[in-house]
Amino acid sequence: MEAKYEFEKKFRKQILQCSRCGFCQAVCPVYGSTLRPGLNARGKMLLLKEVMDGHLELNDQLGESLFQCTTCASCFENCPSGVEVPEIIKQARKDMVNVGSCHPAFEGMHKVLQKHTNIYAEDEPEDFERERNQKAEYVYFIGCVGSYREDEATLETLELLDKLKVDYTLIDEVCCSGVLEDVGYNIHPELARKNMDLIFHTGAKTVITGCPYCFRTFNNKPQYIQLKEKNIQVVHITQFLQDFDFPVSTDLRVTYHDPCDLGRHCGIYEEPRKTIGKIASNFVEMPDNHEGALCCGAGGGVRGAFAKNSIAMARRRLEQAEEVGAEIVLTECNSCVHNLSNAKLRKQKFKIYNTTQFINQLMEEAE
Amino acid sequence: MDEKLEQAVVDIVGKDNFTHNIIDLVSYSCDASEHSHRPLCAVFPETAEQIAHIMKLANRENIPVTPRGAGTGLSGMAVPIRSGMVLDLSRMNRIIKISIEDRLAVVEPGVIYATLEKALAPKGFFFPPDPASGKVSTLGGNVATNAGGLKGAKYGTTRDYVLGLQVVLPDGRIMRTGSKAMKSVSGYDLTRLFVGSEGTLGVVTEITFKINPRPTATSTALATFDNLEDTGNAINQIMHSGVIPSALEILGRETIAAINQNTDLNLPEVEAMLLVEADGYTRGETEYQIQKVLGIFEANHPREVKQAKTDAEVTNLWAARKSAYPVLSRIKPSSVLEDVTVPMTHIADLLKGVQDISKRHDIPIATFGHAGDGNLHPQILYDGYDPVQVEKKEKAIRDLFELAIGLDGTLTGEHGIGLSKAPFMTLEHDPVAMDMMRTLKKTFDPNNILNPGKMALEG
Repeated sequence: MEAKYEFEKKFRKQILQCSRCGFCQAVCPVYGSTLRPGLNARGKMLLLKEVMDGHLELNDQLGESLFQCTTCASCFENCPSGVEVPEIIKQARKDMVNVGSCHPAFEGMHKVLQKHTNIYAEDEPEDFERERNQKAEYVYFIGCVGSYREDEATLETLELLDKLKVDYTLIDEVCCSGVLEDVGYNIHPELARKNMDLIFHTGAKTVITGCPYCFRTFNNKPQYIQLKEKNIQVVHITQFLQDFDFPVSTDLRVTYHDPCDLGRHCGIYEEPRKTIGKIASNFVEMPDNHEGALCCGAGGGVRGAFAKNSIAMARRRLEQAEEVGAEIVLTECNSCVHNLSNAKLRKQKFKIYNTTQFINQLMEEAE
Repeated sequence: MDEKLEQAVVDIVGKDNFTHNIIDLVSYSCDASEHSHRPLCAVFPETAEQIAHIMKLANRENIPVTPRGAGTGLSGMAVPIRSGMVLDLSRMNRIIKISIEDRLAVVEPGVIYATLEKALAPKGFFFPPDPASGKVSTLGGNVATNAGGLKGAKYGTTRDYVLGLQVVLPDGRIMRTGSKAMKSVSGYDLTRLFVGSEGTLGVVTEITFKINPRPTATSTALATFDNLEDTGNAINQIMHSGVIPSALEILGRETIAAINQNTDLNLPEVEAMLLVEADGYTRGETEYQIQKVLGIFEANHPREVKQAKTDAEVTNLWAARKSAYPVLSRIKPSSVLEDVTVPMTHIADLLKGVQDISKRHDIPIATFGHAGDGNLHPQILYDGYDPVQVEKKEKAIRDLFELAIGLDGTLTGEHGIGLSKAPFMTLEHDPVAMDMMRTLKKTFDPNNILNPGKMALEG
């Protein structure tokens, strides 16, 4: 029988490889906050197997599970059978969209980016009091969350780059649109075109991104292949900063939250720790860290589509920060900062920052 | 399920603790075995009282009820084969009390094994029976299945640590068994009757466990052998040498080959490899034990004997052992993991017999397992979509069980009967024993409401 859906054509073997051991249940953030096994990776693979076997239709009734995945990849990291769940989920979401079953929030993201240049449909871009589209050695690419939701963090990051005398420019950036690949759609080629043209115009040989997701998109997606072809390197700011020294330090108890997009998806664990090690003598790991880090709950479109559970996931992460007595929670992703900050309870006295933002604050205090 | 009944269930557990959503029903149709059957609904009870009301309703309305922990069982015990209602106990997940002074922990059934471990570790204590699925399996499930693990030879299984239970009986009455005292011979041992009863006699709603001081030192060694007789002899001699290793694991030829194909561990391709760990409270204590084991290895014509000297070496060795099941699972689309167990003196016969069965039916069977308690895990690899291979698998399983029983062994050392092994119960148990088990089931559950269709109790 010929496969009906793309997910089956591409991933049939892997879906059958799921031995149903349930080990993903121990690490799935969605399961952790709902205790519903139908929402963890095993539950999702079972649903897709039922679809392949003709026992279930791929339609709206599966959306609550298939669309509720942050693509954090902790299941894949812990899967004895090596099932690449996030990739399977992304493909299944595309199949869902093809049959006309899509979460309204996901469809909304797609539609917004057809009309607007950013995921929040904001028409007045923050200018961060800096000239744009200049000739420079580096382009600093902020990303939508950093531009429109965590703009204070971005401003402080830019101030730090100024203090470090980095020759950078901002551009009239548009959404990289990589997230659309996660929610059942595709990158919009015209957005990719615009970003690349703006980058080329600056003459920069390196793009520094403030967002791990933009970093992944620029480096891995074929729509951005011209960056590689023109020998333009794309680095995340945590990689860029690791070679700098900072004339400041803190005694506060600092912990670090590994963003899934930087950690499990890119293997970048030590660069941020190296930088934090230079400025924080009292560093402590949360119980789940590095490859085992617990997701903040924001990814894969979940924050928009399942806001309540997204916050519940962030709360579980913050409980770990509380458990180790952290006073400062650092991370390297505006999306994580945003979700964790939204979830923080009043009684939780720690502060949540991007590493760059925190270093800038220390330097301001020292001045 | 009709609307009136659903409303009656919702009235008991609340709307948020009830589901008939297809997403949930599909996930509750399976465990880690090859069996599946969808229930009509599932509930997430939060108290013993709610479960009591559910059981009364189920009895009155003749609704099958299947209790479930994390669904990591390998025999279909949590599969609702008669449909009805799944009782997901994962939301009853409080550690009620840890009393180091009394050496016990009191937990609800939905507490995950690893959560209890994490709570005990800072106090210098541990709960020894550690199933491979311990990061996800629930303690209620461990009790219902009498879960074992790597440390069985020295520390026994879950059964050896359950002091008492609170149980909801199929008719809805709530009962306490056992005692919080370290020992008790007061009346029939109802506690032990429930441990390993696979959710067929009652729903466990609270467990009192005995806990142990945590050993602080370990020594690890390995030996490889070119033939199975020598391997079997080494195992036997270790087990009556006066030393009881905290783990004595075996990897067979096919398993070693699969590990080498999928990892960079570069194990020697031999007939069998033994991996041993001794634990204790001082280095001297563990070294004394491991030296004795090394001497036994040397006396049994090993290809190689090696003691792990660094933490990295130890980590690598256990990584090899723990990768066995995963790497084997990737070879074919389906696999069945058995757990036949024989008296120690028959380990070599069992290993050889498994190889013969594999040849006879022309189906790959890889073996690894807990040599220290005679518990092997032959893993049969096949394609569940290929009827020819499925038939070969069925025949190999029958031969495997006949082999184990012929060697005075048992069908299952730790995975349980459930659905997978129900057809073979009479191979192991005589008609009188079967009759007594069925009589017990009828006594507790006259209407056959609780986890029906399991353990051949309906014959």
